Amino acid sequence: MSILEHSAPTEFIRPDGKEKVTGSGRYTADLTLTGQAIAKFRYADHSHARILRVDTSKARALPGVFAVITHDDVPEVKYGGMVQDRYLFAKDVVRFEGEVIAAVAAMTEEIAKLAVSLIEVDYEPLPAISDFVAAMDPDAALVHEDWETDTRSDSLGSNRNTLGYSTIVKGDADAAMAAADHIVTGRYTTDGVNGVPIEPHAILAQWQGDKVTIWTSSQTPYAARAGVATTLEVPQSRVRIVVPLLGGGFGAKCDFHFEAHIAALSRAANRPVKLVFSRHEEFFAIDHRREGMLIELETGVMADGTLVGRRARLVLDKGAYCGEGGFFAQMAAMHACGPYVIENISVHSFLNYSNNQPSSSIRAPTAPQVCWALEQHMDAVAAAIGMDAVELRLKTLIENGAEGPTKQIFDNVAIKESLIKAVEMIGYGQKLPADEAIGVSCGWWPCFAVESGAYVNLNHDGTATIITGAQENGTGSVMAMPKFVAEELGLRPEDVSILYQDTDAAPWDMGSSGSQTTFNSVRAVLAAAAEVREQLLDAAANQLEAAREDLELVDGSVSVKGTPTISVSIADLAAGGTFHGKGSGPLPASPEVDASGCVGRLGIESFLAPQVFTHAARVKVDRETGVVRVLQVAAAHDSGAVLNPMGADGQVYGGVVMGIGQALSEGTVLDEDGRQRNPHLLDYKLVTCADAPAIDIAWVGSFTPDAGPRGSKGIGEPPSVPTAGAVANAIAKVIGAPVCQLPMTPERVWTTMQEGAK
Amino acid sequence: MSSFTAPTSLDEVLVALAAGARPVAGGTDLVVGARQGKKPLPEAIVSLHHLDQLRMMAHVSEGTRLGALVTHEQIIADPTLQSSYTALVDASSIVGSQATRAHGTIGGNVMNASPAMETGGPLICFDASVVLSSTQGTRRVPVADLFVSPGKTLTRPDELLVSIDLPPVAAGTGSSYVRLEYRQQMEIAIVGAAAVVTVVDGVITAARVTMTALSATIRRVPAAEAALVGASAGRAAAEAAANAVAEASLPISDVRASAAYRRAMAAVIARRAIQAALTRATGGTVPIPASAALHGAS
Repeated sequence: MSILEHSAPTEFIRPDGKEKVTGSGRYTADLTLTGQAIAKFRYADHSHARILRVDTSKARALPGVFAVITHDDVPEVKYGGMVQDRYLFAKDVVRFEGEVIAAVAAMTEEIAKLAVSLIEVDYEPLPAISDFVAAMDPDAALVHEDWETDTRSDSLGSNRNTLGYSTIVKGDADAAMAAADHIVTGRYTTDGVNGVPIEPHAILAQWQGDKVTIWTSSQTPYAARAGVATTLEVPQSRVRIVVPLLGGGFGAKCDFHFEAHIAALSRAANRPVKLVFSRHEEFFAIDHRREGMLIELETGVMADGTLVGRRARLVLDKGAYCGEGGFFAQMAAMHACGPYVIENISVHSFLNYSNNQPSSSIRAPTAPQVCWALEQHMDAVAAAIGMDAVELRLKTLIENGAEGPTKQIFDNVAIKESLIKAVEMIGYGQKLPADEAIGVSCGWWPCFAVESGAYVNLNHDGTATIITGAQENGTGSVMAMPKFVAEELGLRPEDVSILYQDTDAAPWDMGSSGSQTTFNSVRAVLAAAAEVREQLLDAAANQLEAAREDLELVDGSVSVKGTPTISVSIADLAAGGTFHGKGSGPLPASPEVDASGCVGRLGIESFLAPQVFTHAARVKVDRETGVVRVLQVAAAHDSGAVLNPMGADGQVYGGVVMGIGQALSEGTVLDEDGRQRNPHLLDYKLVTCADAPAIDIAWVGSFTPDAGPRGSKGIGEPPSVPTAGAVANAIAKVIGAPVCQLPMTPERVWTTMQEGAK
Repeated sequence: MSSFTAPTSLDEVLVALAAGARPVAGGTDLVVGARQGKKPLPEAIVSLHHLDQLRMMAHVSEGTRLGALVTHEQIIADPTLQSSYTALVDASSIVGSQATRAHGTIGGNVMNASPAMETGGPLICFDASVVLSSTQGTRRVPVADLFVSPGKTLTRPDELLVSIDLPPVAAGTGSSYVRLEYRQQMEIAIVGAAAVVTVVDGVITAARVTMTALSATIRRVPAAEAALVGASAGRAAAEAAANAVAEASLPISDVRASAAYRRAMAAVIARRAIQAALTRATGGTVPIPASAALHGAS
């Protein structure tokens, strides 16, 4: 069945759907302000060099140029997430090819481009560190010479080029290995990956007096506001971030990026300034992509399948700057354990600086790569003891009451159910042609509890307006809010509008990241709606002279239960008063753990309400060329109670296709200096509809207490996690050997076959 | 760019070309290339889109004439081309995306002179020639002689490709174009091969084989053709000819593939193209496009 055949329309149509599919919707790049100038950046000509001289005089003198700014024109402020390690514009040193040295505002794009080329920069080239594993050598040159004086979180365990170091330690892994029946080892490497939203980054800034409004393609408008306020040294009350329709992000638009550059440029040019990235810039100039990795795994297993020991060493490429990705080492370490019961564990994870493009959160950061490696490794473990790969997983996956790598006791984890369902849907064990096979892959991903706040206002005609800081990234999370509020207040979803993506309107929100919009923002919206509900009940009880507890909100009215003739319409109540609610809702608490043996603890040692899942993939391998086609994927997920099935299914369809891209074709190729060799869509190959497989979906979770609203967990990120592992295990079955590099390109598959034939 | 004109007569277009303008048809190479920064848009552009006579396709006893503005979509839909010039339809079917095929023209595809272009190999195999017009007159050049280096043809700047002429194919002829494709849409040839073979009583009496993206220009492989002519129409001949293609290839190593992989794939893809052509020549069916149909074929 095709994707389209699956998506039978349901009653709920997202409010922004029509404008998006008809082309009438307006994205940031579509906006134009009177008198606006066009911005262009001058990028570093080297991936690592000392700047000796920057001369902008020729660019400034060019007719049609309104402003040229560099580090000298903005406050001397370092910024970054867990480490403040960079400036807006390069000062003294450039550390990756996309580093911004200067920004130009000009009358036209052509003049701006010419002006950028007229900026003279002299450099002293420094040794470029693209090999992020060799970056750990004691004599390796430093990406940040002043790493010891940068402001950073103590729990990172930084040392020279290693930004962060984390371990997961449980029991005595060395002793366990010595006693194991079999020891299985594996070594896997992965290339960096870009998020590649269809809409490239775009920003438009305008000052009115001492206040700036910035329209930007951000997934996290409040992080963008904080970044502008910090780096330009203005109060947050004078920075307003507005996000028009957002054309996808996949994480690449999380965090603060170029909003301050354009705000500063607009102030210097004394007019609105607009930046729109080209597809080329969207690849090399964004400071946010998925990290490359080295993953070394070792498992001690008994003949009956008991996993007695896991040792692992992970090395992650942080690239030039920290951004918001300082937690990656610990997240990767948790995924090297995986959702399995393992008695003894020793995982060491290093997050290293390099002169490559900075890596930060892309949809389930670190998880798809580590899951791909671990799940291939699990198949190797099964082979070593002569056990079927599914049987081994059924024996070793966590279940309710099981103890995790940090001694967390799990509850509501239907991962075995997801495996059983996925295997059933794909027809595991069926007879297939010799060039086809089925692989399975399991995984997990935590929920993130963060603060959020929302308002719900009742309008005088009985309709309602939600005011939320949540950001709609395309997933539909925000678009589903009217449905929930309508249910709470007895209204129709179309009677509920949303004011969103405007930092002046709503309380702080984390933004579209971490699979947490419904988890946290809907919790806040429901709390706000509950206040309105209470106010309506009070008013109706008064007017109807009925007891509050006898009333219900149904079909636009408040009525006495069982006696619908005694009722008052919400519109009539609304016309006569002011009904408005605000709410945040109580945060679910982090589960208890004992991670006393672990270092680099950043909070990820506790997995709140784990989202657990299995994907199974059937592939066909062209055994002469190495070209792999994924024919079918079965995806079974526990995301707790599913609130909006069509939206949840949509996340799985997209995640599977994205996962196939990571599995087979998406990878950034770097030269020895860390420059991208394929920064365009012809040679960075996304999967198109033509290569999308048949996808079957099952939801195996149930109401989960102490999690998201109405017993839900998250869903945005997990579908991108396990597909590559399932595809890998299927390929290995066809060709008789694992492909240990990601992506598993035709040439890599072919080379693996050639090596096997020798 | 400083001027853009769209004349309604061929003569006016030729005058504009003589004055230094560059032609645009579908724009799928010119505009995309300019946006990517490969080559800026020319100062003066003359559009061909009002020249309806260049959209014509004619099947006559002397063969088939394709106007320069015939789109890939027209080629794909034409029953005569499907049956007689199947390799060309294989090729047009896999150019770019649906949108590229709707806008992109055969004339533009040929004159862009990419060594990775899809239609060049089939046209050479069919002994096609191009008709070039200018204010100085008209001349005919075989497609096999047209390409001199990547992106360059032997035409003068004032000449316009107005049509492509394909001679008739002999009875018992089958053809195919196969490309190595990592994905099934929006792909560029990393290795490609075209074959046109004529089979009489189980024996190959004529053969043309070209390789794509395996040397600086698309070109015939005489050794491969020699291995086919006179041989019986079967796998052994196809393999021998395909090995000759790999032997003759001059692959490069770049971000798309290593030279070693390209050379190995040259043998696989050429064999599949030749086998598909033989199958079609002898009454068998290989669906169009052959590339997708032959995934995993051994």
